[in-house]
Amino acid sequence: MTTTNKELTYDVSDQSLGYSLPQRMGRRLWAPMLAMALMAWPVGLILSWIRAAEIASATPDPDTIATLGQLVPAFMFIGFMAVFAAVSFAIARILGVFRAGGGDTQAAARRSVHTLRMPVTAKVFLGTMMMAMMTIAVAVVLHFVAAAGVGSWSETSLEQWTIVLEGVRRTGVVLYLFAITFGLGTIITVLRFQTQRIRKLPAEPARA
Amino acid sequence: MSRLETLTRPTTGTDHRAATRHRPIGFALAALGLLAAVVTLIANVSAAGQVGDGNAAGAAETLAWSFGLTVTAFGTAKLAIAVVLVGILVRLWQRVEAVKSALPDLKAPVAVSIAGGPISTPFGPAVAGRDVPRPLRIHTMAKALWAPMLVMGYMAVLVGLVVSFVWASDPASVDAAAWTQGLQFLGEGFLLAGISFLLGTILASLREGGGEVQAALGLTVETLKMPTTAKVFIGLMALGVMVAMTQFVLYLVVAAGVSNPTAWFTWLGPLREFGLGVILAGIVMALVTIGNVLDFQFHRVREIVTTGN
Repeated sequence: MTTTNKELTYDVSDQSLGYSLPQRMGRRLWAPMLAMALMAWPVGLILSWIRAAEIASATPDPDTIATLGQLVPAFMFIGFMAVFAAVSFAIARILGVFRAGGGDTQAAARRSVHTLRMPVTAKVFLGTMMMAMMTIAVAVVLHFVAAAGVGSWSETSLEQWTIVLEGVRRTGVVLYLFAITFGLGTIITVLRFQTQRIRKLPAEPARA
Repeated sequence: MSRLETLTRPTTGTDHRAATRHRPIGFALAALGLLAAVVTLIANVSAAGQVGDGNAAGAAETLAWSFGLTVTAFGTAKLAIAVVLVGILVRLWQRVEAVKSALPDLKAPVAVSIAGGPISTPFGPAVAGRDVPRPLRIHTMAKALWAPMLVMGYMAVLVGLVVSFVWASDPASVDAAAWTQGLQFLGEGFLLAGISFLLGTILASLREGGGEVQAALGLTVETLKMPTTAKVFIGLMALGVMVAMTQFVLYLVVAAGVSNPTAWFTWLGPLREFGLGVILAGIVMALVTIGNVLDFQFHRVREIVTTGN
């Protein structure tokens, strides 16, 4: 059964509805994503030191410098894509704890369980998070393509790709931050719902 | 209560049904950040076109201010996150008041005996006692520092934006390039540190609020000991802020004069990004800790409802 009180639409049931699919994914995936980030950044850092040493050397090889110029941002932004995904999954996990914990508490109090339906802010959070991940992933893949093209592409083409991909990567990061804002805004909605619900519980008759 | 605490803890009796402004302000700031980022994406595409036309000087000028505006976009979006986190703090305290008012009527009617000392819970080691736990030093620090860090961080980003316009007027200037990048990424580091301190304040509020609810009922106050995830969070945050400050000093070294600034810029860029990445990793651990603490608190509330103790 679905009920709406002005802004908050919720389902009514006898038992807690537990974690939703995105929240179960969040529980499982935050750790692997964080691990991926912590592995990618050192690779990017080391490659940047090699590139800097090549630039500073007496006979710098332009192809090595150009190739590393693509690989360094590729690895650094694999790291950022992963860590922002980890942040997003950790937020989804928190939302899951609220959903499951709130439901279990109402069931323990022998009242009907009211579970908030996914708010619009959560849908915006999920949608823009996926867009952000794809944006950065596309940029990373194209960096590897450009790295493979060193030697056969003209210097001008390579420079143009680098400049555009830099803008695409940064847009992906801001999209992630935008998504995270909406994820956290969803927590405010959930807290408001739970505050209202718990105040109403004592007045409701307990189920047998 | 200090003035800063009144921003995050509403006075008792505030109408919990009234909407607060944190969410719309946060969303508006996030949208502003996204708009600025789209502008810089267009600027970068334009600069790429200028490179194709052989106008390297024009491209360099565009890329200089585009860098400054992009980092400002990042900073604005982070400010948005901070505003929403303050809103979460306000709502958390309203939830505490709601639980305090409802739980006496939901609690199982059994005689209460206060236990004391260390205990084991499904969520890790905890401490049982009679009183609301005193805040840890790190909690006091977090409550005091979140606002100054956010202000300092955003100011550094904005000053860096102005310097980026100076850089754009002379794209070959190593000084302007170094100051822009160093200042703005120091600012980004401080902004993320401010967000970290806000998450620390949330953890402090969960601890204090949970203790208040249990103490108000005259029950054993069970408080989780600092989990490992929280310790990792603090360590990563400290490391990340140190890297952010180190990269700023190293950019000043470049501005003062080095033999091969291009080589320096080559490794300083990933270093400054690594510093921010480490702070973000700490933020992940803070969010995981918040999830664990909330899980423990829901478990404790259910325990009080079903067993009365």
